[in-house]
Amino acid sequence: MFNAHKRRSILAAAALTMAGALTLAACSSDSSDPESSGSDGGGEGSGEEVTLDFAFWGNDVRADLYNQAIALFQEEYPNITVNSTFLGYPEFWEKRQTEAAGGGLPDVMQFDYSYLRQYSENSLLLDLGPHLGNEIATDGFTDQILSIGVVGGTTTAIPISTNAWGMYTNPQLLDTVGVAEFGGGSWEDYQAWMAEVTDASGGEIYGGTDYTGRIQNFEIQLRAEGNNLFNEDGTPGFDEARLTEFWESGASMRGDGASGISQQQLEEIAPLSGFGAALTASELTWDNFGGGYLGELGESYTELGLIAPPVTVEGAQDLYQKPSMLHAIAANTENPAESAMLVDFLVNSPEVGAIFGTNRGLPASADMRDGIAFEGLDEQIRAYEESIADRLGDAPPVPLVGYGSLEEKFRVLGTELGFGTISVEDAVSQFFAEMDVILGS
Amino acid sequence: MSTLREIRTPADPARGEQARPPRFTRKQINTAIWFAVLMASTAIVLYPLVWLLVSTFKDNSEFGQNQGLIPNDPTFDNYAKVFEGIAGVPMWRFFANSTVIAVAATFGTLLSSSMAAYAFARIRFRGVGIFFAAMIGTLLLPFHVVIIPQYIMFNNLGMIDTYWPLILPKFLATEAFFVFLMVQFMRGIPREMDEAARVDGAGHVRTFASIMLPLIQPALVTSAIFSFIWTWNDFLAPLMYITSPDKYPLPIALRLYNDQTSTSDYGATVTASFIALIPILLFFLVFQRFLVAGVATQGLKG
Repeated sequence: MFNAHKRRSILAAAALTMAGALTLAACSSDSSDPESSGSDGGGEGSGEEVTLDFAFWGNDVRADLYNQAIALFQEEYPNITVNSTFLGYPEFWEKRQTEAAGGGLPDVMQFDYSYLRQYSENSLLLDLGPHLGNEIATDGFTDQILSIGVVGGTTTAIPISTNAWGMYTNPQLLDTVGVAEFGGGSWEDYQAWMAEVTDASGGEIYGGTDYTGRIQNFEIQLRAEGNNLFNEDGTPGFDEARLTEFWESGASMRGDGASGISQQQLEEIAPLSGFGAALTASELTWDNFGGGYLGELGESYTELGLIAPPVTVEGAQDLYQKPSMLHAIAANTENPAESAMLVDFLVNSPEVGAIFGTNRGLPASADMRDGIAFEGLDEQIRAYEESIADRLGDAPPVPLVGYGSLEEKFRVLGTELGFGTISVEDAVSQFFAEMDVILGS
Repeated sequence: MSTLREIRTPADPARGEQARPPRFTRKQINTAIWFAVLMASTAIVLYPLVWLLVSTFKDNSEFGQNQGLIPNDPTFDNYAKVFEGIAGVPMWRFFANSTVIAVAATFGTLLSSSMAAYAFARIRFRGVGIFFAAMIGTLLLPFHVVIIPQYIMFNNLGMIDTYWPLILPKFLATEAFFVFLMVQFMRGIPREMDEAARVDGAGHVRTFASIMLPLIQPALVTSAIFSFIWTWNDFLAPLMYITSPDKYPLPIALRLYNDQTSTSDYGATVTASFIALIPILLFFLVFQRFLVAGVATQGLKG
């Protein structure tokens, strides 16, 4: 035992040495690998060697397209190196939230409308005002579209593309059951048409899905009546009675033997939608979902119909263009000018447009649209957004912080209504309770 | 062991009542019923795995329309697609990345946890109780609580987009579960063993390396298996620290086929998941032998 003290100090020394060696190894390997060290040591003016981190969400197809676009960018600006990274949508935001808290956001990001207010209000995004008209050309954008990326008077994001609420139909299914395409009309007309399709098929397929489960259908009804879903100050533009009325209007589309597909059947085919599984003949959704539906439907279906949603009030401007995604720059970037150049390239360049087509949605910039030869579904979407010009109003206020969870709550309550596990009255009070929590905080 | 007994029993009645030997003894019938029940429950438990295997031959458009087991139109397209890789990064690259991380992390965990455990179990230093309690305390901390401070730390060290944030902590005995496992194991080993070594003039290093390590082999194997599987399947930590797609490990790469905002390639996801499962399966098959052997020796000693 008399030797124990000495041995202990030897052990401690060994442990320290090892920890030290590991740390040193870590540092040295990092500094000898300049590619991985991000945008450290970048310069101010253009012409200097600069490295930008760029992050987007999407699948492998989109990643290939971005790789091509960035290769073009680097050809044009050989002094700028772009390190791109991509993830699926939920993982992308999980990672951004951590980076935002830890001060490591990438220089340029593909951004989502629903997170724009949160990140802008926390001063995590660069004010793009000084770069508009300089690095970032704005000629191709309408004022209405540019105003989408403004939060509290500051432009923090540039829309890449827009989409609008629309109604997809499946002409082949309609042919099979022998019912004509929905010819437009009120929500009641639409419900009647759904019932006709369901009856004509003998219950094999359905006219559509209970649309009262989607908050957007509620929103366009409110907009037609001159209200917003949520106002700029965060107050709701509706009361309990209006929501009750909306959910009760869907009664004929829910439950067994209804005109809409049952919630149980929808759960069975998840993650496909009823429309994607060729079980329903129509679906109200964002117009950029068409490509996904065609993919889900498989090779036996080659075309879709895309028409305007039912009308609430004749002549009202109930629809609006929403950015399907935007580009934003992190406030902590060391190379704001170069980052702005990359954003400009990705939102305006016709060559980039030619690469992406409508993968990221219908391009917001007319310059970029010029680079695309629209065909098939893409042309349908472009023509659709042109055709609804009379019904397009100003975009609603940038979504509230927490809008995403309210939208999800709405969807979940719609699901429960479909199962019949909750009454409309309870659903309304639950939704208002959730709003109290989220809007009050 | 029970199987041996079952095989032996039929011989006994055959000797006793030779006049009218029953076709099946009661025990045999019981055994048959047991086998039937066990096989039925195994089939139920294994069904998802079998479904996964068979679904790798389904065409992407079949998902959602055909939930059954048998593909309508068997195809190898999914395999071709998966081996092509994602966005210019070949599939084997993700395997290699996962392997590097899992092997390094497992080695680090074994080395550091056993050393830390030796200290807790055999050395009486000041504050051993407090340190031990603190170590156990870290088991109660959810990962999500520490992830932001940890991110800030590694960000300041400039280790983002390297494997160091994933591997370095494992070399510093941060996996309290394994340390605890080994401490408990070492406490079960008679102190006379190390005292005999000390009498022979061995110090702590020698005692640890020559006496303890061989004796705690079962604990090491258990830790190795769990550590490997956990690291192999870990999603959140690589998600936070790795940014370059060519450095992604498998669990992140698997999600890249899915994109809720456009189209999802379920066929490729299922196929890639199945391929990612194979190394884990092999690892377990190889080490399971040691695991069983280890538990058996432990039982004999107790």
